[in-house]
Amino acid sequence: MLEIINLKASINKRDILNGLNLKINPGEVHAIMGPNGSGKSTLANILSGKNGYKITGDLKYKGENLKDIPVEQRAQKGIFLAFQYPLEIPGVNTNNFLKTSLNTIRKAKGEKEIDTLAFLKLVKEKAKELGIDEKILSRQLNVGFSGGEKKKNEILQMKILDPNLVILDETDSGLDIDALKTIADGVNSSRSKDKSFLVITHYQRLLDYIKPDFVHVLSSGKIIKSGSRELALELEKKGYKKIN
Amino acid sequence: MKNSNINTNQEYKYGFTTDIENVRAPKGLNENSIKFISKMKKEPKWMLDWRLKAFNRLKNLKEPNWQKPKYPKINYQDLYYYSAPKSASNKPKSLDEVDPKLIETYKKLGIPLQEQKRLSGVAVDAVFDSVSVATTYKEELTKKGIIFCSISEAIREHPELVKKYLGSVIPLTDHYFATLNSAVFTDGSFVYIPPKVKCPMELSTYFRINASETGQFERTLIIADKGSYVSYLEGCTAPMRDENQLHAANVELVALDDAEIKYSTVQNWYPGDKDGIGGIYNFVTKRGACRGRNSKISWTQVETGSAITWKYPSCILQGDNSVGEFYSIAITNNHQKADTGTKMIHLGKNTKSKIISKGISAGQADNTYRGLVDIGKKALNSRNYTQCDSLLMGNKCGAHTVPYIKNKNSTSTVEHEATTSKINDEQLYYCNQRGLNQEEAVSLIVNGFCKEVLQQLPMEFAVEAQKLVGISLEGSVG
Amino acid sequence: MIENFKISLKEIDKINLINQEDKNYRIENLEFFNKKGFPTKKEEDWKFSDLREIFSKNFKKIDINDAYPEENNFRLIQEFDHNYILLINGRLIRSDFKFEDKNKIKITGYKEENFLREKSNNPLICLNNALSNEGYNLVVEKDYKFEKVLVIYNLFNEDLSEKILNNKNKIIVNKNSELHTIEYTINRSKNKFFNNTYENVILYENAKFKNICIQAGRSEGYFHKFLNGSIKSDSKYSSFIFSSGLKFNKQDIQIDLEGKNSDCEIKSALFLNKEDHQEIKTIVNHLVPNCKSFQKIKSVLDSNAKGVYQGKIFVKDIAQKTNAYQLSKALLISENSEFDSKPELEIYADDVKCSHGSTSGNVDENSVHYLMTRGLTKKEATQLLINGFLKEIISEIKSDTIKKFVENKLEFQVYGY
Ligand SMILES: Nc1ncnc2c1ncn2[C@@H]1O[C@H](COP(=O)(O)OP(=O)(O)OP(=O)(O)O)[C@@H](O)[C@H]1O
Ligand SMILES: [Mg+2]
Repeated sequence: MLEIINLKASINKRDILNGLNLKINPGEVHAIMGPNGSGKSTLANILSGKNGYKITGDLKYKGENLKDIPVEQRAQKGIFLAFQYPLEIPGVNTNNFLKTSLNTIRKAKGEKEIDTLAFLKLVKEKAKELGIDEKILSRQLNVGFSGGEKKKNEILQMKILDPNLVILDETDSGLDIDALKTIADGVNSSRSKDKSFLVITHYQRLLDYIKPDFVHVLSSGKIIKSGSRELALELEKKGYKKIN
Repeated sequence: MKNSNINTNQEYKYGFTTDIENVRAPKGLNENSIKFISKMKKEPKWMLDWRLKAFNRLKNLKEPNWQKPKYPKINYQDLYYYSAPKSASNKPKSLDEVDPKLIETYKKLGIPLQEQKRLSGVAVDAVFDSVSVATTYKEELTKKGIIFCSISEAIREHPELVKKYLGSVIPLTDHYFATLNSAVFTDGSFVYIPPKVKCPMELSTYFRINASETGQFERTLIIADKGSYVSYLEGCTAPMRDENQLHAANVELVALDDAEIKYSTVQNWYPGDKDGIGGIYNFVTKRGACRGRNSKISWTQVETGSAITWKYPSCILQGDNSVGEFYSIAITNNHQKADTGTKMIHLGKNTKSKIISKGISAGQADNTYRGLVDIGKKALNSRNYTQCDSLLMGNKCGAHTVPYIKNKNSTSTVEHEATTSKINDEQLYYCNQRGLNQEEAVSLIVNGFCKEVLQQLPMEFAVEAQKLVGISLEGSVG
Repeated sequence: MIENFKISLKEIDKINLINQEDKNYRIENLEFFNKKGFPTKKEEDWKFSDLREIFSKNFKKIDINDAYPEENNFRLIQEFDHNYILLINGRLIRSDFKFEDKNKIKITGYKEENFLREKSNNPLICLNNALSNEGYNLVVEKDYKFEKVLVIYNLFNEDLSEKILNNKNKIIVNKNSELHTIEYTINRSKNKFFNNTYENVILYENAKFKNICIQAGRSEGYFHKFLNGSIKSDSKYSSFIFSSGLKFNKQDIQIDLEGKNSDCEIKSALFLNKEDHQEIKTIVNHLVPNCKSFQKIKSVLDSNAKGVYQGKIFVKDIAQKTNAYQLSKALLISENSEFDSKPELEIYADDVKCSHGSTSGNVDENSVHYLMTRGLTKKEATQLLINGFLKEIISEIKSDTIKKFVENKLEFQVYGY
């Protein structure tokens, strides 16, 4: 699904990633943990195609080189990023945004556009699964949403857009215990053979719910250790300093 | 920002001309052409006298030059002041008599001129070049006592109302273009809503300039009598021509006690091509008087067309507790120039006004908000809130905010806020990550930016306006 | 004597030490002034302050001042240590830089050659160009930071009556230097006169200049000052303006941010009373990228006072990453007071953050009510609130002794004791 080979990235003359390698097969769930500022969000941004980084190395998605593919085309090809800090866009109705987004992606896949009624039905169903109050969906996108509502809204978008590679950037931070569980359920119920997940988190607790196949430790722009789910437990006990 | 594939400015959708035989006044601005207009319209003598009085005053007035957009001198002697489709010179009694070519034109414009069996019926008065060609839904309105007809007809049929109110909000000699209009206005709409009547449907006028070398000077007069309500819509288009055409309309609104008038405009005159050749000069005077207690006038405008737009829909808040509102979106692209805003003159007690202005400038365009809020000494406990936001796309365009704020009253409050910025890159990125391309993302964010104004428009108009916002900015992102 | 406020060309002959070129320049300017006269509200810049009307109401005649008497019983501020220069009717009388390295400071009186012969459309600048022959010229050499504040005593003597004074001042702060001044106006005349000043400030790279403008008490003066600042890279201009107690005062400030990372800050707290009419007009021109500007004007208007703020932010197309903000707030506390404003933005670069806000209205009723439930009278509550409203600006003065000094002056105006 995704292959990252010797990825180096810098921004504003600052090196952030220093030779990162990672391979994710279809159906796998990978977790990335690492201290603040180690480059986790940077990695997520680069995978989504954000501009402004100086990049060397290779990114391959479903066998295709991602270089030169702009953000929206990556999204249309099935890469979805749940942002660490979802943005507020004033004046733009959340439902409306979701529908536009879904339809561009469907169009790109050669599928038929969804009509308003079918769309509303879909949203209603997914929102209910996630315990999202429908009212917030007729509000402006993320404007005035609570921290948790924003995060849930990201997961709702994931469910509706039905991507192949999902990157969750600290989607668990700032959630209450129930919400954490709903989000994990949201992810678990989407797991399938042709879907892969890259879960960035600081907390082992999330990994109790979403059971990853692999756990990686990112530090100073490199993966310094990879292992199974036990690695997360070890990290929780020892902290990052003692790993190595 | 990355480069996405950029369309060149999409062709102006309404840029066709209609091949129709016209009756024209002799070229030039003089007493004879004014008499010609008056005669063609079978006007009573008092109306001709009124026109001539304006014409005499005009001789002593100068064209204003304080506004930001400058334009080459207009040769007023080189214009036709009256042009009418021949078939309309005897006004048709019903739609069946209207020239089928005209009906075809309006179909292309998407105007529901035929009385279609639609739930949300819109009564339409259509002005083609200089004359009103058809008014729909007349009977239904007449039952309620509502008068909705062309101003020419009103002059003949309802002289007492016209005499009483015409020129009562925009005086004969207000300024150059308003006076010019008073002398040569050809047609426009007239609306009278009797006391306590809520007009059951949106009233609407579509303006179309078709003939070349013709100035269009409509005059609209709307009177909402005590306790009545009306919502009025105005749309405008013109063919693409590489000459500049002058459009100098006057619109007067009068709201009596407890009456409310909502006036919405979607202005999409031909803006000129991407090098700034051609396009309409849209020099319009719009003014409303909240004459009665508790009256309300609300202006909403979406200005996307014209080479130069220059208008300030205003409210004179005379009645105690009266309310004035101004919601505006002005989009300028390529070489367009817009200088627009409002005046809120607070005279009565407890008067309130609200101004929301959204300016978007792209290409080499210039966009100015110019406004006046004046709280008089007697306007106790009055309030104004103003919010002016500008978006710039690129560094070849300009945004200018020029508010004049006068507060002579210690019990009144004035609040004004303004910002200028560009589209937020992070917001664009977020939309891109959800699969939207650059232009879709811009259109979405800009529509969000304009939301407060768009939601003031009646439904059918809002959809059209939203599309227009997107189209007007095409080719401006990169 | 000036007939209909027109000034005879002979007045120029009274100014000595000028060459022919100079004379022609002055004549040209005077002719322009005579043609235009005192500005009226028809002119955009004077829309809210019709000077001609104000003059014809208050002056029967007006003459050019030519008296510069010696000082008598002039006392220095005691509250804090300072350097000073003393001006009487605009003329530099003496200076004292006892806290500073004297090699680093140059101070002289008015010098023709210090000013470019620029053309102006502003009649008052032309009037100044035609007739000014007093003022001061201050240069701070490079790499020097002032130890103590410099107070500019601007004293007007008792005998001024129906006179016009025209002065020109220039302040240059060279590279890496710092200057802090207080312009302290003391007005002894009980009569009407008109003071018309032109000031030019140049800050070179990485220089800092801070000025506080304050008056000793109420007076019958009519003042106009045009200030032009040219700010080079990494330098910072900051100015505090406090109430003048003058009958009429217009400060017309134009700051050109010419070098990258330069910064301009203008703050004002005004309490206007009686028939006071005070206008502040600012234009900040962002001409290069990465500059900041900030204006905050707070006014309280009592009695028949009128306050005006016209502020413009201009951003040139190349001036990306500009950050400009402007705020004006006014409290109208009497029926007959008036506040007018024109906050203007003219912007040609897109990657900028520019905004302004302007509010005017009465003291917040809820706050008055709250204070009254705590036992204050309505008047006390209002005074407390307006004092707090204005103090916000004063609290930004760094030096405690100077802050206290300014506070006392302001409280005197607000409470009348
Ligand atoms: N635009 C930028 N300019 C300069 N430095 C940047 C920029 N963006 C990120 N950085 C720096 O790069 C480093 C990595 O940032 P990143 O956001 O990827 O960290 P992170 O691992 O996601 O941290 P956290 O756990 O706090 O979310 C940080 O030190 C950050 O300050
Ligand atoms: Mg992060």
